[in-house]
Formats: sequence, C-alpha cells, structure tokens
Amino acid sequence: MGFPFPLPADAIPAALAVRLLTVAATLCLARRPTACRLVAFGGSVIASVATFLVAATVVFSGVSGRGSLFRHAASGAAVAYSVSPLSAWFLLVLGLLAVPIAVYSVGYLAHAVPASRSAFVGAAFNVLIGAIETVFVADDVIGFLFAWELMSLTTTLLVATEHENRASRRSAYLYLVMSHVGTGCLVAGFFILASMSGSLSFATLLSGGLATGRLRDILFLLFFLGFGVKAGVVPLHVWLPEAHPAAPSSISALMSAVLIKAGVYGLFKVCAFGLGTPRMSWGLALMAVGAVSAVLGVLYALQQNDLKRLLAYSTIDNVGIILLSLGSAMTVLASGHGELASVGIAASLYHVLNHAVFKGLLFLGAGSVVMALGTRHIEAMGGLLRRMPWTGLFFLIGAGSIAGLPLLNGFVSEWLAFQSLLLGFQATPGLERLNFPVAGALLALTSALAAACFVKAFGITFLARPRSRAAEGAHEAPMVMLVPQAFLAVLCVLLGLFPGVVLRVLGPVMAGLPGLRPAGEMVRGAVMIAPGPGRFDQVSPAALAAVVLAGVSLAALLGRRAYGGLRRTPTWACGGQLDAQMEYTATAFSKPLMMIFRAVYRPTREVEALAEVSPYFPREVRFRAEIEPTFERFVYAPLTRGVLRVAEEMKILQAGSLHAYLAYVLALGVVLLIWLGGEQ
Amino acid sequence: MIDGTPFGLLLALLQAGIMLAAAPLLRGVIKKMKASLQTRQGPPVLQVYYDLGKLLRKERVRSDTATWVYAAGPRVYFATALAAAVLVPVVFAAAPFEGAGGILLLVGTLALGRFALAVAALDTGSPFGGMGSSREMTIAALAEPALMLGLFASALAAGSLGLGEIVRGALARGVSFHPSEWLAAAALFLVLIAEAGRIPVDNPATHLELTMIHEAMVLEYSGPDLALVEWASSIKELVFVTLLIDLFGPLGIATSITPLALAMGLLAWLIKVLALAVALTLVESTNAKLRLFRVPELMATSLGLGFLAMAIRFL
Repeated sequence: MGFPFPLPADAIPAALAVRLLTVAATLCLARRPTACRLVAFGGSVIASVATFLVAATVVFSGVSGRGSLFRHAASGAAVAYSVSPLSAWFLLVLGLLAVPIAVYSVGYLAHAVPASRSAFVGAAFNVLIGAIETVFVADDVIGFLFAWELMSLTTTLLVATEHENRASRRSAYLYLVMSHVGTGCLVAGFFILASMSGSLSFATLLSGGLATGRLRDILFLLFFLGFGVKAGVVPLHVWLPEAHPAAPSSISALMSAVLIKAGVYGLFKVCAFGLGTPRMSWGLALMAVGAVSAVLGVLYALQQNDLKRLLAYSTIDNVGIILLSLGSAMTVLASGHGELASVGIAASLYHVLNHAVFKGLLFLGAGSVVMALGTRHIEAMGGLLRRMPWTGLFFLIGAGSIAGLPLLNGFVSEWLAFQSLLLGFQATPGLERLNFPVAGALLALTSALAAACFVKAFGITFLARPRSRAAEGAHEAPMVMLVPQAFLAVLCVLLGLFPGVVLRVLGPVMAGLPGLRPAGEMVRGAVMIAPGPGRFDQVSPAALAAVVLAGVSLAALLGRRAYGGLRRTPTWACGGQLDAQMEYTATAFSKPLMMIFRAVYRPTREVEALAEVSPYFPREVRFRAEIEPTFERFVYAPLTRGVLRVAEEMKILQAGSLHAYLAYVLALGVVLLIWLGGEQ
Repeated sequence: MIDGTPFGLLLALLQAGIMLAAAPLLRGVIKKMKASLQTRQGPPVLQVYYDLGKLLRKERVRSDTATWVYAAGPRVYFATALAAAVLVPVVFAAAPFEGAGGILLLVGTLALGRFALAVAALDTGSPFGGMGSSREMTIAALAEPALMLGLFASALAAGSLGLGEIVRGALARGVSFHPSEWLAAAALFLVLIAEAGRIPVDNPATHLELTMIHEAMVLEYSGPDLALVEWASSIKELVFVTLLIDLFGPLGIATSITPLALAMGLLAWLIKVLALAVALTLVESTNAKLRLFRVPELMATSLGLGFLAMAIRFL
C-alpha cells in the first residue's frame, strides 16, 4: 500500500532549513507582532506538512530513508539522519499535532500572551519542533545528543515564558535540573556503548550484540532513567505537573502530546530494541513502572482543581499505559513470542498516537477556557457550555476519548493493551504470569478512574451555572482556535471507528522492529481488528456505533408519546433559590475517592473559624485541604539536601584564590603526565 | 458464527425485544418477593410496566440551566444498555453481535452509558446530581478491576474473550465443579450487586440524600427522560444477570436453530434468571446498606476472589 503523496526523505534537511529561515524571519519581525506570528506559524506549518509527508511515505512503504544533515568537508565529520519506520511513526504523530497547534497558536498568542513575546514564543516553537524532529531522525550519538539538549533548553525557555512569575521560573529550573540528570544518564550510556564499539553511529551502537551480561542490565537502567525522565514516569515525573501548566497553553499541548513522546521513542529505540533481545525482568520492570505511573498519575489528576495541572497529571497516567503495553510486549518477546509481542507494541504505538491527539485537543480546549476566564481554577468555572458551545463539544469528545470509551480512539488502544496482557498471561510460564492479571486489574482501575476524573473536568468546567463573574462573561474562542480543535476531535472519532486502517499502517513499523512478527490477521477490514489469528477476540467499534445509533433513535421514538411540548423550569433547590454557591464543587466531586485512597494521598485539612463575639458565630471560616506531595517530600527533598551538603563540602576546593587554582592545574598536569607516560 | 446473516439480524431484533420486555419484569418480581419477605403485599408484579407507560406519556420538564448534554444523557444510557443486551448470548449460544466484540467491548459499552449519565447529572446545577454522579463514578471505579478479573478468569479458561465462544466452550466441556468457577462466580456476584445498585451497595428504593447513589444522579429527571433511565437500568441489571448465567451455567441454552430448541433455551434462561433474582432478593432482604466508605472492602473482597480464581486455575 503506497502513500498517495510520497515525499522522499531528502526533504528532511529542507524542512529543517525552512524552520531555521522561519526563526530568522520571526526574530527580524519582532517589532511587528501580527506579521511575526503569521510568519512563525506559517513557516512551521509548511515544514511540519513536509515532515509529515516524508514520515507517511516511510511508514506506508516500510523502507527507511537516510542521508546526512550536515557535513564538514575538511574533517569529513557528518551528522547522519535516518528515517526508519519507527522514527517515521513518531514523526507522523508530531506532524499531525504540530500543524493544528501552530494554527491555534496564531490566535492564542494574539490574545493570551503579551505581544512583545510573540517573536520569542514563535521562534522557540520552531526551534523546539525542529529539535524534536532531529531527535526522531538522528542516526548518530552526536546529532542525537545535540538535538536532545537543544530540545530541553528550548523547553526550559518556553516554560519560563512568564518569567516575571516566580512559580514559572521555579518550574523551568526544576525542568532544567531533571532533564540534565536524564541527559547525564544518556551520555554515560552512549559513551559506554561507543567505547565498546569505537563508533558513534546508531547502526553499530544499537545493533544489539555489543553488551552482554551484567553490563547489559546497567545500560538498560541508565537508558531507562535517561529516557524515563523525559517521558515523565513515576518516580521521575516531578517536573511534569509543574512545567506543563506553566507554559503557554499551545506549548503545553505540544509538550504533553509530543515532547514526552521523545522519551517514549528513546525507550522503544534503545531499551526495547537496541540492546538485543530484552530480558524478561526488563519487561516486567517496565510493566510495574507503567502500572504504578498509570494508577498514581490518574489518582493525582483526580484531586487537581487546576485544569492544566489535572491534564498534566493525566499525561503521567497515559505514559504509564504506553509503558505497560511496551513492558508486556518485552516480557513475551523475551520468551520468543514475536506475534504476541506485536500486540503489545501495537497497543503502545497506537496509544502514542491516541494520547497525542486527545491530550493535544484537551490542552487546546483548556487553553481557550483559560484565555476566556483568566484563571485555571476549575472551581471558578461552570456554565461554559452555553458560552463556549464548540470548545465544550470538542472538550467532551476529548474527555470521552481519554476515559477509554468505545466509539472514540482511547478505547481501541486500551483494548489492545488488555489483549496484550491476556495473551502475555497465556504465553508466560511459571509464577511470573500472575503479574499480567494484576496489571490488567490496575489498567481497569486506571481507565475507570480516568472516567471519573474527566466527568469532573468536563462537568464542573462546562456545565451547570457559572461559579464566578469571569465565567459569566466568557466568550467563545475565535475561529482560528476552534478549527484546530475540530480537526483533532474528528481525528478522535476516526481513529476510534477505523482501527483496522491504523493497524494496517502500523504493520510495516512493527515488521521493521527486530524480533516482531505481526500477524496479518490483526487487521480484519477497515473497521475490525483482532489480536491475531483465531477466535481469541475481535472488536469493531463501528458495529457498536450502528447499534448505539439505533438505540438512540428508539429512545427518541419512545418519547414521542409525551404530553405537550417541553417545559423549562428552574432547578428545584429544596424550596430556596438555586445559586452557584450550592452547586457541587470539584473538591466535593473527588472527595469520596480521596477518602478511599487516603493511604496514597495522605490528605491534611485545616478548618479555622474566625470569631469576634462568640465561637458559635464565626465571622469567617477558612478551609484548607491538601494532599501530601509524597515523592517531593520523601524522595526528592532528601536528595536535594544531600546534594547541597556535598556542594557545601566542596566549597573548600573553590576557595577563590587564583594561586590555588593554578596549583590544581599544575597538579592535574603532573598526574596526567605520570599516568599517560606510564602506559608507553 | 451468525453475525452478518439474516438470521443474525433477526436474532438481534428478537433478543433486543426479549430483553426490553423482560427487564422491567425482573425488577417487578424482585420487588414482589422482597415485599413478601417483609410480609407486605407489595405492588403488582406488572407495576413497573405501568410506571414506565405513565412516565412515557407525561410532559417533558427540564431545568432551565440544563443544556443538550442533559437531554442526551438518558438517550445514550438507554442506547448503550440496549447495545449491551445484544452483545450477550441469551437464548441461543451466540450473541447476535458477537462479531462486534467480546467482554471488553461489553464493559466499555456500559462505561459509555455511565459516563453519559454522570456528565448529564452535573448539568442542572442541583447538588444532588453532583453528589450522585461523584458516588456513582467512585463505585464504578472500584468495581471495574474486580469485574475485569472475574471476567478474565472465565474467559481465559475458555481461551477466548468472545462471549459466544465462552458459552460454547463451557457447553463442550460439560458441567465443571472446578473451585475456580465458584470463586469467580462469587466475585462477579458481588460486582453484580454493585452494578445493579442493590443493597448492600446502593438502595434503589431510597430517596434519602445521605444514602442514595444512582437515584441521586437521576433525581432531576422526570417524565419520558426518567422512563428511559429506569428502563435502561433494568436492562443493565438483566444483562449482568445473563452474563453470570452465560459464564457459569449456560446449560440449556439453544445450540441449534429450531423453534423447540429456542423455546427450551428461553425457558431455561427464564428459570435461571428467576433463581438469581431470588438470590438478589435474599441478599437485599437480609443485609443492611453499607456505608459508602465500607463499599471498597466489598469490592476488594471481590477482587481478591477473582485473583484467587485465576491463581488456582492456572498455577
């Protein structure tokens, strides 16, 4: 099956050049914000469409394209790129999201970000996407690490867009520190591999035969830590709920939808398929980390009342689902089941796409809401569906998708994840197999909690009466911000109703990964998929859609005998007048789950009654409830204290005396001379 | 096996009709039995039908705060209950729409309906709706892992997640008294109680704000909207009962397409539904409603039973 608009991989350097030109033009136009925005995001759209076409060509044909980005004639050094089907899949996801986000940004920056920063955000946006693209296609260590670092630094700048705000600066700093811990692990891992092979090319480094025994485990751990930080898995996630909400909403969408997928890409490329056949223990470890991330991510998301923070925590939950499927695939791959492993890989890669689409959509919707109201606090929202009908509709579709409801895309990848767990259970011998049903139960818990979380996120935000003056006066976002959301919402539906098409496209991607043998029977027409040959299971959401439509029509028909027309009356409020104060709040909505999972949350609450005359007649009651930031307090706080203490001790070395420093240089020179001289 | 054929479509219509017609009867029978255990006379068995008929003819009254989401909730809930009804085998050893998917799709379909109704409940601005919606989603979240594990235990024994395949596999293997079946059945019975909103988890007869869950969620609905919600809830209950029958006691279900076999299948199904109705009535009459925060313990028991069922069968 060919792609109708093929574009050779040679277009990748051209697309990156377009981005560089766009950045230059954007910075030149900094004084004219409107033109600057149009140039920045127009250029971005052109480059993204080109990369999307290249990616689609490679994914459909299954044939990699390669070349070099940059060649230094004198030394012969070159930075090579290669678009393998796996990188093409991630590029495809990036292209699919980058275009609507760029269009949305034109409107969003005009209204929600000071005009003086348009040039900065526009330029940084292009640099960031270019860096992510380079990460996906880099074919040697130097190019990869350069792009990786550029990506982290640009993100830090974007998180600090509102740098006059202390919290934003703190988030950016936290992000910077965490990313560099991760990058440090990656550098160590790549250098070990490079010193073993004497090459810097991925083709040699990741051929799988280099390391053996204990060293292989150490490498796995290093790369897992390095990529895990970027992917935001528990317990390396602490930066994510701080950094994602702090950035402008269109950037949050890009970060949540695509940026964290760079970490997932690394886990795929190196941890799962770059270090030889994975060991069963790696797979089980990834499953465990994935399950914990999924459950904790959604549990924390449930208790957030900041709309963007809620979405950020739910990103941790979805990365958990992606890793859970990847882990189950690696576990069965370790025992040589290439067909069954492809089910898990399909679930994982499908969820990468799905999460990008619905989370991008939800962040864009949240951005419109925040722009209209000027606050991210859910308790100040309400009644927005009447004021922002389209944003509300698209947000509802995104909420249904993320809750894993059938007819929408989230259901399909979760369905595949369940299949991969059940097949893994059947294929794994011994006691280890019991990990699979436990993971299945946790996945079921995650998806049900996500449903509760997004009933709250949508219901409290968009339904009932406005809870604040700002919500009362909210207006619908402009067309340029609605069309991208409509596009993503339609994608949510299409990806949910035509899973066969997606799996057919994924076929060459999976066939290109070592050890996988995807069964052709997984695709049963455009609307039906199965986990493999035989009658284990199959699903066709489109058939369900037909039945549900018939059911809805019957329901409408049943109501036709009703007396008279439709009468509107005020909501009954036990005899009083209903006002927004009486509505159920977001805090109240998630309170039962807070009580049930109090072992996880360790909530604290303070009620303070301020009274003047008698304690029975308080003038004011103050209520404060919060959940304990377990990881921050018990993992990171001791770590930070330790680092600071070591730094304090090392101050002795940094005495500020020039003589001492000269002595260090001398001493180092002598030591090196002795050391190197001794080798000859 | 039969989907896509004219017979499949006919069976789908027939089965949807049977489920639509029989679901209120199950409620009526349970109410009557409960009343007689309390030495009351109770309402007539057919009272549920009279109520539905009356509600469907009443005037539509909706809150002026509510939007289209409020109107869509009951319709989607009804449609998903109906869809669930054709995803399980009832009188014939194949579900009319088993090509559409197995137990995972069934669970997903019910989740879709619950989501639609829970969102709609927040639309009127009444605190009752929010309270009910919050509690319903909480209990659903606790019941879901238990439900999945119980279903997996049975499905993996049959080597398929398709309900038709599970039923046919169970028929081929004959009656089994493997202890894992008992454990899985017990696990799913607890989930049935939670999903059907029965005592000790929820009390369908109460309108006391401290205790109601599902009723609080639909408190604002009236007339035809309420009729759809009530009807759909009863269909959902019947689907769960049928699911239990399919997984643990499919004996008697029709395996050939002859009028006699189908009639026998219908009779066997009715008898088994009645037996489970008696069990539900006894549980409901001999237990007190649990506090909301005791429900997690019940669900954890169910989860443990499901896990045990898997462990003893496959180790």
